[in-house]
Amino acid sequence: MSKQPASKRPRPMRKPVSRTPAWVTPVAVVAAIALVVGGFLLIRWYTTPQALAPLKPDAAQLVVNSLTALPAAELDAIGQGSANNLLKPVSGTALTGPSGKPLVFYFGAEYCPYCAAERWAIIVALSRFGTFSGLKTTSSSSSDIYPNTPTFTFHGSTFTSQYIDFQAVETTDRNQNALETPTGSQQALVNQYDTGGSIPFVDFGNRYVFAGATYLPDVLAGMSWQAVADALAQPDSTQAKAVLGSANLVTAAVCRLTGDQPSSVCTSSSIQAIEKKLG
Amino acid sequence: MRLQLLALLAAVAGLGVSIYLTAVHFAGVQPACPVNAAINCEQVLSSSYGVVAGSSVPTSAAGILWFAVSAALAAVVLLSHSAPLWSRLQLAWSAIGLVTVLFLVYLEIVRLGAVCVWCSVAHALVLLIFLVALPRQRESRVDA
Repeated sequence: MSKQPASKRPRPMRKPVSRTPAWVTPVAVVAAIALVVGGFLLIRWYTTPQALAPLKPDAAQLVVNSLTALPAAELDAIGQGSANNLLKPVSGTALTGPSGKPLVFYFGAEYCPYCAAERWAIIVALSRFGTFSGLKTTSSSSSDIYPNTPTFTFHGSTFTSQYIDFQAVETTDRNQNALETPTGSQQALVNQYDTGGSIPFVDFGNRYVFAGATYLPDVLAGMSWQAVADALAQPDSTQAKAVLGSANLVTAAVCRLTGDQPSSVCTSSSIQAIEKKLG
Repeated sequence: MRLQLLALLAAVAGLGVSIYLTAVHFAGVQPACPVNAAINCEQVLSSSYGVVAGSSVPTSAAGILWFAVSAALAAVVLLSHSAPLWSRLQLAWSAIGLVTVLFLVYLEIVRLGAVCVWCSVAHALVLLIFLVALPRQRESRVDA
């Protein structure tokens, strides 16, 4: 056997500095992030309000009665409240309803949380000019943003007034099943003035329009219909500042249509102040 | 080095996504995005969190800045053969990005209940850059 030369050194060996494999840290980071995101989903699930069963007609009417009985002094004191003024003046042909009175046209859907928020304000405001009947309680979609926002639906309701006509189209129910279809002229209004496609869309006699909600629906999150009505009776509540502020914006736009009639509503200082802002 | 090239490509891709979302914001149009119960780009981007707090600057504009710096850092680390100073800077910068992403994901899931696909792509790219920036265990040749 031949011997290796004494001068030949052993082959250098690859030796890890650490026993931790290189992939461990990135995988641990990704796993930690997945856990955090899972935690977020858990928080979301835990804090999402559950849909309430709709009230029976008598109970729903009691809530509506609470809304229509809000003191004028409270509405006047709140003014625009925390609502955003989304009203835009337009110059279309004057829009009138079947009885020849100025027409307020609402276009929305029951699943839509922004429509859910805005209906409270519309009901409070229009009830100062006339009377709703047949309003039923419902909630916005359970699977959309601001889920299960408590509200009413205009589907199946009627509104009578000596000052204005009101037409409402709820295109789908809260599960997005088809409900009502706008007429050709109603769709034309939507196409002309709601170019962004946002709902709710409200046209005040082709003099003012707005699209979207004037306050965020999370103001009403987790509340029952009666709880909302009770909160609206408290002028300092977040709900009153948002809903009644929005109602005053709607009221001011309607007052512009009616020539400030009835004067008991339209000549109040807060409505007059908002009317001046409308342009 | 190949990983740094990946970080550079991710930063350039993130830059593209951020520029697209910023352009869409200023053009006043909706981004191309599917809409369902969980995904709604418009809801996220048009929310109060769609702009940098107290300004009208879209959050995606901050993304342009972050990805541009990330691209520059990846390029420098690549050219300097992972000089420790630049590697540490890259790690710190990407950690800031990752913390911000976690906050934005919190807002999407918990506050808004909607996810923006474009934003999620940008978030994934931030995570990828962070993973590349992580210090790696190395093997070295030692004499026995």
